[in-house]
Amino acid sequence: MSVAYAPIVRALGSETALVLVALAVLTLDFIIGRKREVAKRRELVGAVALFGLALSAVPLVGQVGMTNVLLPGETLVVNPLVIIFKFVLIVLTAVTVLISIDHDIGTHVGEYFAMLLFGAIGMLLLVGTEEFLTIFVALELTSISLYVLTAFHKNSLRSQEAALKYFLFGAIATAFLLFGLSYIYGLTGATNLRDIGAALAKKGTDPLLGVGLLCVLVGLGFKVAMVPFHLWAPDAYEGAPTPVTAFIATGSKVASFFVLVKVLMVAFAGAVGSAYWGAFESGWAMVLGLTATASMVLGNCAAIVQRNVKRLLAYSSIAHAGYILVGLVAASSTGATAVLFYVIVYAITNLGAFGVVAALASRAGGDDLEHFNGMAKRAPFLSLLMLVFVLSLAGIPPLGGFFGKFYLFAAAVECDAEMFGLLWLVALGIVMSAVSLYYYLVLMKHMYVLPAKDETRIATPGHLKMALAFCAAGVVLLGVFPEPILALLKALVVRL
Amino acid sequence: MSVPLGYYLILGGVLFAIGLCGALTRKNAIAVLMSIEIMFNAAILNFVVFWYYLHNGALTGQMFALFAIAVAAAESAVGLALVISVYRHYKSVDVNEMRSLKG
Repeated sequence: MSVAYAPIVRALGSETALVLVALAVLTLDFIIGRKREVAKRRELVGAVALFGLALSAVPLVGQVGMTNVLLPGETLVVNPLVIIFKFVLIVLTAVTVLISIDHDIGTHVGEYFAMLLFGAIGMLLLVGTEEFLTIFVALELTSISLYVLTAFHKNSLRSQEAALKYFLFGAIATAFLLFGLSYIYGLTGATNLRDIGAALAKKGTDPLLGVGLLCVLVGLGFKVAMVPFHLWAPDAYEGAPTPVTAFIATGSKVASFFVLVKVLMVAFAGAVGSAYWGAFESGWAMVLGLTATASMVLGNCAAIVQRNVKRLLAYSSIAHAGYILVGLVAASSTGATAVLFYVIVYAITNLGAFGVVAALASRAGGDDLEHFNGMAKRAPFLSLLMLVFVLSLAGIPPLGGFFGKFYLFAAAVECDAEMFGLLWLVALGIVMSAVSLYYYLVLMKHMYVLPAKDETRIATPGHLKMALAFCAAGVVLLGVFPEPILALLKALVVRL
Repeated sequence: MSVPLGYYLILGGVLFAIGLCGALTRKNAIAVLMSIEIMFNAAILNFVVFWYYLHNGALTGQMFALFAIAVAAAESAVGLALVISVYRHYKSVDVNEMRSLKG
């Protein structure tokens, strides 16, 4: 078996660049960082990390023409859809780096940025593969980096506790994933998605396949924080340093949902089942239909009573995982398009929201709702951006969140044109969106209506404002002109 | 080849169940970590057995097992580090006592 190495090197350009930059960042901080102030070190090392991320986007341009599978067994895949998502992930990481530069992350600056970059590498690999062994290793690379990042506030008890809970739940989910994969390997003898799909189509259903599929869903469901595998999310989101929370809530979710879509639509296309009202059939669509219901209801209802902004956003993100799953339950290419579009919108919006929280909470003395009282007077620009993000999360037109949700629900309605079997799920989603408006507006009430105890202005550095304004512009643009990117995704998903 | 495949699969399933029970019921974080390792090993055993009995034409199953062992080792290293850093704050590794995050 001969393998051509040149295209592989070309296809792994971004990842290679990021590995080198991560090591360079570690070395740089070790050699020249130790004697400087921590804030200076963050700026210096963060700038290098940003430069590295910009560098890693360059090879993507050269890959535009490549549409082939590069290693036998689809270990490494390059196609336009993968390139788009790699680019999105690089942008998300870059914004996270910009938020982190401004945030107190302790004295281990080099290690922090290196871990962030390693996590990003895991996500890029995760997106660029269609083979379970690589998916497993990439998922672990991402997860382990995120566990360490969550624990980065070494002196904070909450950070340590959050990291341990995140780790324990995560490790159990990984064990489930591996156990499920072992059965799927045993049944089909293959580990790449297409061969598994073909083998299962010939074999038909098998009880062992059911166990394997369910275990894989547990493993990936944990990563996307769907109910009932969401227990880690509120704790990890609250305890982790806020830039890390932003990274967990966005980058890792984008990559995980991308993989979930691919795994279900390609490998398990034969075990769809059905979640149509009155015509339930066992399969992943039914399981996801139920978890989507639970996620939307529990996420939104639990968010109402939260007093901590990060925790509130954590429950809101659980609810959003529910909305996204509605698109997946449709099990059509329109549904998959809507899922991928919404994941991008959701990630940009949430990154912005957590970015604002990171910038304001550290200067206002805490991240409870009370600390945000009167923020509109203290930091008018960031409050305005927060308004945009929150309204997009709530799904108010003309922002990206509205159109994203609209396409998700439209895809779910149209997948069964005669009976509208998924109408129940869509109706529930719309009702729950109305519920979500309540707690988003409570947050806005604290920022815009309630008076602040201390009215001093909060000054934030320009690069941070620029990064967050960029996110807000993205949210608005995706809402006003969704067509180009939607048409692009649609054309690419058909070939999935 | 006297032991049939099914016996190994039952062993794998039982090991996984034991690990899961331990992970969900033990209070000591180290014991939870050990239980998770048992779950990993059940999956690895499955891979090796499936490879040996059904798919021994290619090395896929063995490779998967080797990678899984390496990943599990990396994961438990990070896990133990986290347990130690939690111990510094609580002077205990009892997961039921960790209640600073609630809501």
